[in-house]
Amino acid sequence: MQGNGFKIGCIVAFLALTIYYLYPTLQWNLEQNYIEQLSPSEAAQYEEENQEKLESLRENILSLGLDLQGGMHVTLEVGVPQLVLELAGDNADELLSDVISTASERSIENNSDFIDEMVAEFESRDPDARLSRYYRNDAMDITRRSTNEEIATFLKTQRTSALDRAIEIIRTRVDRYGVTEPSILKQGNNRIVVELPGVEDKERVRSLLKGTARLEFRLAADAEEFRSFVNQLYEYYETYQETDSDTLDNQFSPLEEVLVPAQSPYLVGYATPEDTARVMDLLKTEDIQRMMPRNTTVMWSANPLPGQDGSDLYQLIGVRTQIELTGDVIEAASVQFDPATNVPEVSMSMNSDGARKWGRITGANIGKPVAIVLDGFVFSYPNVQTKISNGRSSITGLDGIEEAEDLVNILLSGALPAPLEILEERTVGATLGAESISAGLNSILVGLGIVAIFMIVYYRTGGGIADLALLLNIIFILGILAAFKATLTLPGIAGIVLTIGMAVDANVLIFDRIREEQRTGKTLKASIEAGYANAMSAIVDANVTTFFVAIILFSFGVGPIKGFAVTLMAGIVASLFSAIVITRVVVDYLTQAKKNVVSFG
Amino acid sequence: MRWFETPNFNFTGSHKIAYVISAVLFLASVTAILTQGLQYGIDFKGGKEFVLDFQDAVNVVEMRSSLSEPLGAAPEIKLYGSDSEVLIRTDNEGEISEVQRIITSNVAELYPDNPANVIKTDVVGPRFAEDLKWGALQAVIYAIVIIFIYILIRFRNWTFSAGAVAALVHDVVIVLGVFTILADLVPFSLQIDQALIAAFLTIVGYSLNDTVVVFDRIRENSNVHKGMDFTPMVNKSLNDTLSRTVITSITTLFVVLVLFIFGGEVLKGFSFALLIGIVLGTYSSLFVASALVVELEKRTKKS
Repeated sequence: MQGNGFKIGCIVAFLALTIYYLYPTLQWNLEQNYIEQLSPSEAAQYEEENQEKLESLRENILSLGLDLQGGMHVTLEVGVPQLVLELAGDNADELLSDVISTASERSIENNSDFIDEMVAEFESRDPDARLSRYYRNDAMDITRRSTNEEIATFLKTQRTSALDRAIEIIRTRVDRYGVTEPSILKQGNNRIVVELPGVEDKERVRSLLKGTARLEFRLAADAEEFRSFVNQLYEYYETYQETDSDTLDNQFSPLEEVLVPAQSPYLVGYATPEDTARVMDLLKTEDIQRMMPRNTTVMWSANPLPGQDGSDLYQLIGVRTQIELTGDVIEAASVQFDPATNVPEVSMSMNSDGARKWGRITGANIGKPVAIVLDGFVFSYPNVQTKISNGRSSITGLDGIEEAEDLVNILLSGALPAPLEILEERTVGATLGAESISAGLNSILVGLGIVAIFMIVYYRTGGGIADLALLLNIIFILGILAAFKATLTLPGIAGIVLTIGMAVDANVLIFDRIREEQRTGKTLKASIEAGYANAMSAIVDANVTTFFVAIILFSFGVGPIKGFAVTLMAGIVASLFSAIVITRVVVDYLTQAKKNVVSFG
Repeated sequence: MRWFETPNFNFTGSHKIAYVISAVLFLASVTAILTQGLQYGIDFKGGKEFVLDFQDAVNVVEMRSSLSEPLGAAPEIKLYGSDSEVLIRTDNEGEISEVQRIITSNVAELYPDNPANVIKTDVVGPRFAEDLKWGALQAVIYAIVIIFIYILIRFRNWTFSAGAVAALVHDVVIVLGVFTILADLVPFSLQIDQALIAAFLTIVGYSLNDTVVVFDRIRENSNVHKGMDFTPMVNKSLNDTLSRTVITSITTLFVVLVLFIFGGEVLKGFSFALLIGIVLGTYSSLFVASALVVELEKRTKKS
C-alpha cells in the first residue's frame, strides 16, 4: 500500500531511537547485577577499572525519583528580607526595618513579590522619600538621585545573585559531603530545591544546608563597662515589679529564675537551652537596652558546658557590635587535634590581608579575649597571648570530630549571602522505595495483562494488533522519558499505568468505527479506510485536550505532579503514534497479504 | 464479541432523572465540603508526618494515647498499608529532629520488644503549604479555562464549551464531596494532597476525553443529517459512540482498579479518586454534558 513505506520508516526510526536512549539504562542494570555478584574487593576493583564507562552510563540512564530509591528532598528559601536589610548596611534605621517586616508579612499574605511590596510600603509611608538613601552604592551606579524603581531593580539583581551564590555554595558543600548524583535546582526567585539520593543522616544534612557560615572575629566587650552593666541588670530585676500587678508575688527576680549569674567579667550568666528565649526577651526591653554599654551586644555560646546537675548550660557573652574581621579572609581550614587533650578543633589560615589585620588586632589586645563567632554564636573567645602575625587562628569548643569536619566544609565553601530556611523536607527510606517500585511494576504488568486479554476477546485480530501497539507504547514512553532525561517517580508510574488504560482508547475509537462502517455494508478494506479516517478527528480532539491538561500540570505542579505530567505527555505522544501509525501498518499488511484474515470481532 | 451494537437508548429523554441525580450528588457534596471542610493533607496544611515500620503489628489507639502528651496534642495516627506500618501526623512546631526523637523514644518505651524504623518523613512549612495550595488552585482554574477555549475553537459553539466545563466541575466537586464524606470511613488516607490534584486534573482530562468524542460525533452527524432536529441528533450521537464510551471506561477502570489494589499505600487515595472519577466522567459525558448542550441550544434558539 502506498505511503506505508514512509510509515514503516517512521516506526523503525522511532524504535531505533528508543533503543538508543534505553540502551544505557539496560547496560547499567546489567553492570550493576554483575557487580553485585562480585566480592566487595573485586567489585571495588572492577568499578575502579571501568569508572569512565560506568559514569557515562549513569549520566544517561532513566533515573529513579527519590520516592523510588530513597533519599532526601529539601526546599530552601533565601531570607530575602534579611538580605535587603543587610544591603542597607549602616544606613539601616528603624523605619527601614519596620517597612521590611511589614512588607515581608504582606508578601506572604498576598503571595506577591517581597521587593515590590517593600517599595509600595515605603512609598505609602512617605510618597516623596527615596530608598536610595539606604542603598547608595557607587560601584553599582546607585546614587542619591536613583529612583525607587531603580532601587527595586537593583535589589532584585542582588536577590538573583544571592540565590545563585547560595546554590553554588550548597553545591560545594553537598559535593564535599559525598552524595552521588545530587540535584540542586533554582525554583522561583528565592528558592532552592535540593535532592539527595540515598542520604541517611538527615540531621547532618540540615545543618550543612542551613549553616550560613558567617564567620566573624569580634573583640570582647570592655570588661569594666560590661561588668557594671551586668550588675545594673541584676539590680534592675531585683527591684522589678510587673507593671500590671502590684501584688507582692514578684519578690524574686524574673531574670535569676532563668539565668544563673557568672563570675567572669565577660559573661552575663548561664542558661539552659529551654530558658534562652526567655532570657533574650528580658534583655530586649527598652530600659535594658539603654543600660547596655555603647557598641556592645550579647551572644550565646555555640556549645554548652555541663552544669552541676548534668544539664546543658549555655553562656551569654558580651561582645562588641563591631566586626573586626570576617570569614572572607580565611584561605584554608582543616581539622586539627589539640595535642594535649586530643580534642578536635578547626584551624584556619588567613590570606595576607587578613593576616595583617589579625596581627594588628591581636597586637593591640594582648591579654583580652577575641570572640570567634559563627552564624551568630560564639564558638570560642580565647585570650590573646601574643600578637599573631602568621594569620593563624582556631575554633575550639566543638562537639566532636563530625562537627569539626562539617565546619571545615562549610568554611571552605564560603558564607551564604543570606540565611536559608527549610520550607519543606521529605525523606524516603530505601526499603520503602524498593517496595514502591515493585508495587508499581506489578500494577503495570497486571493492568497490562487484563487489558490485553480483554482487547483480544472483544476485538479478535484487531485487539491483538492493539496489544502489540500497547507493548511498543510502553517501550516508547520509557524511551521518551530517557531521551528527555526525565526522572521516573511513583506518580510517574501511575501515569504510565493510566496511559495503558487510555492508550487503547484510540484503537477502540477506530475499531468501533470500522465495525460501524461494516454494518453499512462496506467491504472490509473500505471499512478500514473509512474507520481510520472518520475516527481521526475524535482521536485528535480527545488527545489534544488531555495533552493541555498535562501541560498545565507540568507548569504549575512541583515535584511528584511534574513527574506525573511528563509521563502523561510522553504517554499521549507514544499512544497516538502506536495507535494510529503502527496498528494501521499491521492492519494494512494483514488485509493485503492474506485476504480477510483480519477480524474486528 | 459485540456490546451495544445498535443501541437505541433515550439519553436525552432521561435527562430529567439525570438532573435530579446530579443535583442531589452535587448539593450533597457541596454541603459536605462546606460543613466538614476539605480534608487537607500536609501538602496543603503544613505539618510533620512520619511513617514508622515496626517489626510486629502495633496498636494504633494505644500509640495515640501514649504520644498525645509528649507531642503536645493528639497526633493523627493510622495504619499505613500493613499492620506494622504506622503513619503519624503531628502539628507540633518543634524542630524536625526533635519531634522525630520524641516519637521514636516514646514508641521504643511503649514497645520495647518491637523495634521501629522511620522509613519516611515529610515536613511541610505552613507558608510552603499555602504556596502549594495556591499553585494547585491555579492549575485547576487554568485547565478549565484552556479547555473552554479549545472546545470553543474546535467546535465553534460556546454551548459545547459550557456543557463540557459544567460536566468537569460536576465531576471534580462530586469526587471532592465523596472524599470529604468518606474520609473517616475508609481504612486508607483520603486527604487532599498534591497527588490528588494530579488525579483531579486526570479526571478532568478523562471526562473531557469522553465528552469530546461525543461532541465530535454530534458535529459529524449535524453535517450528515442536516434536516434532523438537534435533540434526536444528540441522542443518536450518544448511541453511536456508546460502545466506545463503555469499552474505554472498562479498560481504564481495569487498570485503575489494579493500581488501587496493588499500587501500594502511597497511591491509594490517588487511584481511588481516579476510580470514582472514571465512573463519574463516563456518566457525566452521557447524561450531563450533552444534556446541558441541548438545554442551552434550546434557550439560545428561543431568544
